Amino acid sequence: MSTEPVVAELVERRVILPDQRIDAFHAPAIAVSARAGQVLQVLLADDEGLVVRRAFAINTVDPSTGVVSVHVAGPARADALAHLRVGDRAPLAGPFGRPFEVDPRTTHILLIAEGAAIGRLRLLADEALREGRQVTVLLGAQSARDVYPSTLLPDEVEYVVATVDGSLGHPGSVADLVPQYEAWADQTFAAGSPALLGKLAALSASRLTRMGVAKLGRRRAAAKVDPPGSPSARRKSFLQVVVELDVACAAATCLGCVVDGHAGLLRACREGPVFAATELSLETVA
Amino acid sequence: MKARRRVVTALDRSGGRGPAWPAPPRKARPVPGLQSPVSRPRLSGSGEAVAAPVPSVPLDLSVDLGSGLFLRNPILVASGALGYGIEAEDDLAPERIGALVTRGTTLRGRTGNPTPRMARTPSGLLNAIGLHNPGLAAVLERFAEQWARWPLPVILNLAADNVGEFAEMARRLEGVPGIAGVELNLSCPNANRGGTLFALEADSAAAVTTAVRRATDLPLLVKLSPAAPDPRAVARAVADSGADAISAVNTLPGLVLAADRSRPALGLAYGGLSGPALRPIALRVVHEIATSVRIPVVAMGGVTTLSDVLDFLAVGAQAVAVGTAAIGDPGLPARLADELEDECQARGLSSHLSLIGTAQGHRPGNPSARGAEYRP
Ligand SMILES: Cc1cc2nc3c(=O)[nH]c(=O)nc-3n(C[C@H](O)[C@H](O)[C@H](O)COP(=O)(O)OP(=O)(O)OC[C@H]3O[C@@H](n4cnc5c(N)ncnc54)[C@H](O)[C@@H]3O)c2cc1C
Ligand SMILES: Cc1cc2nc3c(=O)[nH]c(=O)nc-3n(C[C@H](O)[C@H](O)[C@H](O)COP(=O)(O)O)c2cc1C
Ligand code: FES
Repeated sequence: MSTEPVVAELVERRVILPDQRIDAFHAPAIAVSARAGQVLQVLLADDEGLVVRRAFAINTVDPSTGVVSVHVAGPARADALAHLRVGDRAPLAGPFGRPFEVDPRTTHILLIAEGAAIGRLRLLADEALREGRQVTVLLGAQSARDVYPSTLLPDEVEYVVATVDGSLGHPGSVADLVPQYEAWADQTFAAGSPALLGKLAALSASRLTRMGVAKLGRRRAAAKVDPPGSPSARRKSFLQVVVELDVACAAATCLGCVVDGHAGLLRACREGPVFAATELSLETVA
Repeated sequence: MKARRRVVTALDRSGGRGPAWPAPPRKARPVPGLQSPVSRPRLSGSGEAVAAPVPSVPLDLSVDLGSGLFLRNPILVASGALGYGIEAEDDLAPERIGALVTRGTTLRGRTGNPTPRMARTPSGLLNAIGLHNPGLAAVLERFAEQWARWPLPVILNLAADNVGEFAEMARRLEGVPGIAGVELNLSCPNANRGGTLFALEADSAAAVTTAVRRATDLPLLVKLSPAAPDPRAVARAVADSGADAISAVNTLPGLVLAADRSRPALGLAYGGLSGPALRPIALRVVHEIATSVRIPVVAMGGVTTLSDVLDFLAVGAQAVAVGTAAIGDPGLPARLADELEDECQARGLSSHLSLIGTAQGHRPGNPSARGAEYRP
């Protein structure tokens, strides 16, 4: 696989919250092929000419105009794209990684995100609506000030908010909201801190027992095990998560991005960054 | 000692079977659209950018690293930067570079260090991958055949925590096609010396080199650490023990903290510093080593531009490897090889040999081990 970059113009920059903005690039090659969950890399060079790649989740794509956006979050001093102005051109590479996989039978999908991690799931909402599915987004934030603007989500999405300080929506963690939607959702997709992902994995594992649903049918002794990272492993799982380990090479060579899986170490850039929750040892990630 | 045999690499076979690779693009392409000050000056001695090339003379950039290991040019990919190479072949332009040194490989597979394993530093990278690899047998099974068909020599980087294991691995490489040479990573803790790195002590470094030299006729590179109190003594010991060439330098231990300062950024706490931040140290160590031994030195540490390549040649390196900079820009080594060729042509040189050692004349009186900064 080539990690060769294309040159893309920064066509729009929109500040959406303190320390959060959407940067849109004209990169038709990425826009036509990207799927939700995948990342692109922006290549940056320092004063010594050292090229470093920064991964950003693909936030939205518009294949008709060739525009692809990323949700940039973090304090200004850590802003890797600060040097770019609208109209500037920068090398981008991607899309990389394996996308979310939605089961064709799924009609209701639940997206669960913490803070700016909503940017990792945003494109999935578009994809699901296009395919006629119903989408609910559960978002957790510190306070009302940090809540992702509802205007950035498609109108058809049901949007439910939890804030840690109780200033908007449910007071407490976004994970508290999940049990109310477990029966409704056919599949869930999550992005956020390792602690949140660990909590959600535990909820997902105990879901059927808590809901009083018995597994019917004969238990197959040697059920077919899907290889880690395979689309079918994700498609069949109730919870898919996107992990955020830095992707330095995106070519599966540096081994900087590994994550603990039940079947051994997995590379976020090759087998991920989207995984079925059951593929990962999320307790250790948490 | 056993008779030396010539190592067959794709390089010198090409006449027989023809290249296994499609015809190379003449020039490796630069990263498009990247606005970076990569054209740091100091080229062609004068500081001016090179204008139209002088009428071309036949150019020979080949390097002899000993025991029959010939490279088509003096630019290598350093260990750990591009794994086993095969994964990165689309970006690498293997037909344009001198050699690829693989990820560190151990006798048995290792799962490496806890994550995070990498952190950014000013003009560099701190890594603690921890020799994550599937083990020698699996590596050979997966890659050796492909390496044998590759148009560039592959040097296998070996790591172990005792002398016996280093030698055992070397023995298992005898007769395996696709291995052009071995590089011993002596920045490994020596289990029999309370975990002190082999590369820090001349006698430990010599013991490993001797054992491996007895075990194999393969071209043998020994990789030294910039943390050695006296790199000259270690280099001499290694050269006297049968090394064909010395690689210098490996990373230097460092620490980066998490943003909230509650813990180290890396799972293992400490990591190895690489990239341009390491370069002045690497340049000093290569200078010291190259003035102390007669065997070739393969230099590395923060190479990102042709100017850095010329610096390392000037202090006496025969060849130069690119590590960290190739992670983000895997086409860089091939581009540097092209640029070196252009530079030689612009200067009317028939090879890069006259660029080697130009800065060695001004030798310091004392080794760095005696301290540099406070000497009267
Ligand atoms: C899958 C994924 C999706 C992401 N999505 C977003 C997003 O949508 N929005 C957003 O704002 N951020 C996103 N990020 C994070 C973003 O890419 C940056 O990684 C983040 O801003 C942290 O950068 P840092 O330099 O401060 O981190 P640091 O911890 O300092 O950087 C460490 C990482 O940088 C890399 N690195 C550092 N130096 C070098 C070097 N010299 N050569 C090669 N590699 C080097 C290594 O991968 C290392 O793991 C995402 C990251 C991942 C992995
Ligand atoms: C991610 C990474 C992995 C590395 N792995 C190895 C290794 O397995 N064995 C080894 O001898 N050196 C290893 N090195 C060291 C490099 O080969 C090189 O000596 C060092 O990084 C200095 O060169 P540079 O600044 O160009 O990277 C590694 C370096 C990096 C950045
Ligand atoms: S980012 Fe290098 S192996 Fe995944």
